[in-house]
Amino acid sequence: MRIRRPEPHTLAGAYALDALDGPDRARFERHAARCPECTREVAGLREATARLAEAAAAQPPAALKEAVRAETARTRQLPPITRGSHAAGRARPGPSGRVSVRRLALALGGAAAVAAVTVWVTGSLPPPAGQPSSSQEIVAVLTAPDAVKLTARVRTGGTATIVMSHHDGMLVFAAAGLRRLPAAQHYELWVLGPGRDRPAGRLPAPSHGMTGPVVATGLRSGDRLGLSVEPTAAAGRPTTPMLLELAL
Amino acid sequence: MSPPRSPWARTPPGRDTADLAALLARVAVGDQAAFDAVYDRVAAPVFGTVRSVVRDPGLTEEVTQEVFVEVWRAASRFDASKGSPMAWVATIAHRRAVDRVRSEQRSADRDRRAAAPMIAYDDVAETVEGNLDRERVRRCLGTLTDLQREAVTLAYYCGYTYREVAGLLRVPAGTVNTRMRDGLIRLRDCLGAGR
Repeated sequence: MRIRRPEPHTLAGAYALDALDGPDRARFERHAARCPECTREVAGLREATARLAEAAAAQPPAALKEAVRAETARTRQLPPITRGSHAAGRARPGPSGRVSVRRLALALGGAAAVAAVTVWVTGSLPPPAGQPSSSQEIVAVLTAPDAVKLTARVRTGGTATIVMSHHDGMLVFAAAGLRRLPAAQHYELWVLGPGRDRPAGRLPAPSHGMTGPVVATGLRSGDRLGLSVEPTAAAGRPTTPMLLELAL
Repeated sequence: MSPPRSPWARTPPGRDTADLAALLARVAVGDQAAFDAVYDRVAAPVFGTVRSVVRDPGLTEEVTQEVFVEVWRAASRFDASKGSPMAWVATIAHRRAVDRVRSEQRSADRDRRAAAPMIAYDDVAETVEGNLDRERVRRCLGTLTDLQREAVTLAYYCGYTYREVAGLLRVPAGTVNTRMRDGLIRLRDCLGAGR
């Protein structure tokens, strides 16, 4: 039997049912990439097929959950789609002013930071021991629509990079090339506000020349960020001059 | 630890969808507890859908596992503006099951599977009883024309291509296409699943 090639648009139903094979599927996907109406229609039909899936529900064997967990534990997660990357061959218009996680991670200090942030963002590894900042907070700041980047020199050597969301009152701090400290001392971040200075986090020991990232929260407009060297027995207030002071 | 959630627990769909979307966002940053919660929510529909398509119990478990690894891996790609989380998961599950069956089929005896569709369809008709979701889906499937309903269920529950469905129902492939689309639109409207 000779089969005519169908109009791509009439294939939306068959596509939503996964009833297109090989070349038919590829042809419809090429068409849909230029046809927002088709994409919308398929999305609507997928809501209907999802209900067909729910109607077929059947309890899996209990052992399957453990097998799945074992498999996910050794599976690296995909990073989110960001501006400059493509989903299914389709260019996505990114919201203007939004910076990619990868780019911000780069801003936070090069390849090591990208690796570190990527690992935390994708969650395939737990954060290093003693790391105070949760990956969720880092992601929240890096993906905030109003995220801005600031960089500053540290007086005793090294560069600090801060990505801040004013809306969320949060920032991610990372530094590269900080002077090494004796074991009894550490770098401490401070939020220097009108009438109040408060510790904003102890920087972990550097790894591959990179320190951080550390998240500071609860920032208000008018706050300044400071960095100082403190004795390991912390005093709760800065005891040495600031090596860096930055208006946020 | 909270008791396992019944797959038939009734919650307002809006809240359920928002919860599942929030859980997926946490899965995207590697939250294992959130992943466990997602699994508990969607394991039954995923497993049931995969089973209806692939039939073989061992293969069903294997494909179900692959589906959940994909949910874990690609959670950051879920976009709530493009559809519900259940539709996202169901799409991964169904596509994975169908692709698996088709690749197995290419190397296996085609005739053997030719007997499967009616069995599968009967099974579904059977299991559709006794649960509110299923009752509703069944009632809505009942509003479709015979050809629409057969085209939709043969494709979805048995994993047939529209050309195969056309062969089974002895109607032109173009007719099957339009019936699939019309049938799904009617089903979507009846279920109130559209956006």
